[in-house]
Amino acid sequence: MKRQFSATSATRFPAYFVGLGLVASFLAGCAGPSEYFVLQPAKDGSTGSMRATSKEGKGFVLDAKNTNAQSRGGAIEAAKMDSDSVKKMFQSTLDAQPLPPSNYRLYFAEGGDQLTPDSQTQLDAILEEIKRRPAPDLVIVGHTDRVGSVEDNDKLALRRAGTIRQIFETRGVIAENIQTAGRGEREPLVPTADEVAEARNRRVEILVR
Amino acid sequence: MRHSNFGLTCIPLLAVMVSIPSHTLAADAAAFVAQVKVSRGVVKIQRGGQAFPAPVGTRLKVDDVIATGGNGSVGMMFADNSTLSMGPEGEVSLQGFTYDPTTYMGAFDAYVKQGTVSLQAGNLAQSGPDNVRISTPQTQLTGNAKQLMINVEAK
Repeated sequence: MKRQFSATSATRFPAYFVGLGLVASFLAGCAGPSEYFVLQPAKDGSTGSMRATSKEGKGFVLDAKNTNAQSRGGAIEAAKMDSDSVKKMFQSTLDAQPLPPSNYRLYFAEGGDQLTPDSQTQLDAILEEIKRRPAPDLVIVGHTDRVGSVEDNDKLALRRAGTIRQIFETRGVIAENIQTAGRGEREPLVPTADEVAEARNRRVEILVR
Repeated sequence: MRHSNFGLTCIPLLAVMVSIPSHTLAADAAAFVAQVKVSRGVVKIQRGGQAFPAPVGTRLKVDDVIATGGNGSVGMMFADNSTLSMGPEGEVSLQGFTYDPTTYMGAFDAYVKQGTVSLQAGNLAQSGPDNVRISTPQTQLTGNAKQLMINVEAK
């Protein structure tokens, strides 16, 4: 008799825990798993903003003042996470961020696709940066000053980008990893009146990504 | 009557058939929208019903699904210089990506099914406040965040 009692009480305890577990998982199941959203400021301190809307139409705006939110079971509210818990939550993700692109400018002699002597000497540094990256690709965009017609400058800008492409291909960068474009005189570094020769606008911008 | 009907429905059909090759070519030229720059542990792409590993250098297309294993993490860079990185046990679908490198106009759509993701803005986020759209199982997000981090807990 005694034995039997102790046996049932022994099974009763686990059953009690299982019951608690079921209730807990049922309650959690109602709200479902959580989603967290965090804005991080850029180097200049700006965050931009993001409008979050839940499936049930609840809204929340993430911005410089409200940098984090939690969405769960149709509700969205401030998550009140401190920087340590944010860091912990996203560490492995942040560790996998690609290197930001490196930006270079090369300048040309007037009216053609001949690099200035100064810019010629920069090529090695750009190649070093390319080699530092495990899967590099280049974006080369040509620009001109405002001497000449818009159409001629579009062609010249493309020719400048193409010349730089050639240089990097010759030095071992695979063609399919280089994109070129020309913007002509549309995007001057130094705005000028038409037909003004401006050395700083005769350039290519190179992104090593 | 039946005859003319048939003729009418045939014309758009023909037009579609004729236009298919040029569309396919245009799509092919711009097919790759991103490249894997960081890949650690198990990282896979699902494309057209097949899964294969995604080492550094892998190029990505719209509709690709990128998934990481328990020890995996991945970082990719898109044509507009935006980057997306993801920690272990994550899954992201590239639902849409259009980008005009001259005007910076276009749109970025991704679905984060699970895991931790960090999205750093590129040119698309600069050119319009609604160009970047991220969805998760419970939430839609639209905006021009400089850096948005997302954690979707597993079910």
